[in-house]
Amino acid sequence: MLNIALPKGRLGDKVYKLFSACGYDCSAMERDDRRLVLRDEDGRVQYLLVKPSDVPIYVEHGAADVGVVGKDVLLEGGNDVYELMDLGFGVCHMCVAAPVGFREDLGAPLRVATKYPAIARRHYAGKSREIEVIKLNGSIELAPILGLSDVIVDIVETGSTLRQNHLEIIETILPISARLIANKAAMKFKSGEINPLITALRGCMQEEEKA
Amino acid sequence: MEQRSEARREQLMGRLRNVYESLGYTRFSMRRFEEYALYLENKSFLKSESVLTFTNPDGKLMALKPDVTLSIVKHARRERRGVEKVYYKESVYRLASTGGEFVEIDQMGVEALGAIDRYTVGEVVRLAIESLRAVGGAYVLDISHMGFVSGLMEAAGLTPEKKERFFDLIRRKSAHELAAAVAAENVSQPYAGYIVMLAELSGAFPAVLARAQAIAVCDGMRNALCELAALYDLLSSVGLSDCLQLDFSMINDLDYYNGIVFQGYVQGAPRVVLSGGRYDHLMRRFDKEGDGIGFALYLDELTRVLADKPAWDADVLALYRETDDPAKVNAAVFALAAQGLRILAASERPADVKAEKTMVFTGETFEEGTRDA
Repeated sequence: MLNIALPKGRLGDKVYKLFSACGYDCSAMERDDRRLVLRDEDGRVQYLLVKPSDVPIYVEHGAADVGVVGKDVLLEGGNDVYELMDLGFGVCHMCVAAPVGFREDLGAPLRVATKYPAIARRHYAGKSREIEVIKLNGSIELAPILGLSDVIVDIVETGSTLRQNHLEIIETILPISARLIANKAAMKFKSGEINPLITALRGCMQEEEKA
Repeated sequence: MEQRSEARREQLMGRLRNVYESLGYTRFSMRRFEEYALYLENKSFLKSESVLTFTNPDGKLMALKPDVTLSIVKHARRERRGVEKVYYKESVYRLASTGGEFVEIDQMGVEALGAIDRYTVGEVVRLAIESLRAVGGAYVLDISHMGFVSGLMEAAGLTPEKKERFFDLIRRKSAHELAAAVAAENVSQPYAGYIVMLAELSGAFPAVLARAQAIAVCDGMRNALCELAALYDLLSSVGLSDCLQLDFSMINDLDYYNGIVFQGYVQGAPRVVLSGGRYDHLMRRFDKEGDGIGFALYLDELTRVLADKPAWDADVLALYRETDDPAKVNAAVFALAAQGLRILAASERPADVKAEKTMVFTGETFEEGTRDA
């Protein structure tokens, strides 16, 4: 049986749709209840619904064999897992944004508010820029408005939240999308189950591209 | 009979010691610490960069050793004739794989230094397989050859920085990002396609070997595949090839490793439990004659596999009365223990002990039953 960790929420719903289109359907998933472990009747797959940022942790420790998670979470967590596929959805960008008209004071450390301290540190270390990281858990856009930080590092999908808060992108760090990840040991012992999943997902994605 | 993980770990270590000693490997023991500089200079050889340090009385920065192979190679004689074979069972100190804190970890391993021939490579790899087998349960030994990967990188004419970036993506089997990176660096065809293939070139040994043959573009790569094929033949002839998989996405540090490299997995452990390979470059770095090959078994990663939570603290709770003859009770308890049962003798039922059954002393022997009833 393949254990699949899915992020709870919108991304997870999308992923489940793709998986069920590939033949990995699970009637228990379609009933909207509050269970977190959902098993297919014939015992072929088991879906685990977890907080998005926990998906790589479940996979790294082998509680799930494979999982789907945004590249942003992978980059931030640095978990030791295989990253097998780009599923091509949940597309957005990791960006640096600042109040419209922002001018950087190069004489002082840059104050960066973010949910992604590791990504922010790595990005600015690459430019030898000293920063002060302010770790927030949500409503990042508020930080520069209130003067809590100079800039923010966050994922940007359409940019409308930024515009509404008078912020603009000043730098794009890298593109983000949903990735299929796998536990290293599961890849050895369950390749007979994981490889067909990859083939099926590739097939589905190609058909979608054609359509 | 069920046992706790600690007892099973001791048993495993004892069994491995016998296997290693029976093939002429002698025990190598060493100090618990080394100068920190050793690890600073060889950071990329270590499994993790975090090292536990302290200052000794003359002001030198020392480290509790996070690795054994470096110490063995460093302290080995410079010249040698033939092959020196050693094994070790040492504590190493590194960050727990779950992160956060330093832990003391039991590690066992084998090293062969000197004129390493194909026989010796086969012997060490077979010892690695035997070590995995001794754990019990299903196991897989992933094998690769650094010459294959470095040959391809050389043929493609890549700089060391680009190589490292590609290696990182290959290790994560991230073919999609690798394809983008290779395109961004303008790597010429057919090398670009071959580099991307490395990420997915893994699985059953003969099939993957055949696929690898199709992309061998230089002698270095062809020689690597010859060596792998010879190793496979050797291990199949002794009936040990079922657990072998080829995986060219496994890349060790080229500054230390060359030739055959391998990693072991056992069912139930989520991470690598055994890791090793050919490290002639490490020998050169320490100015030692000859070549080297070895592996380490990470016993900390086996804790969960070895722990089959026993349902009972003891098989038999043997109850006697304080008025019973101690000599007779003693004889009866040891007689039960000699049958292979775990006995807990007590004059009163302990509060927090679960035993599978209770026996009561009847004056000569223990009989099943409860005293209270």
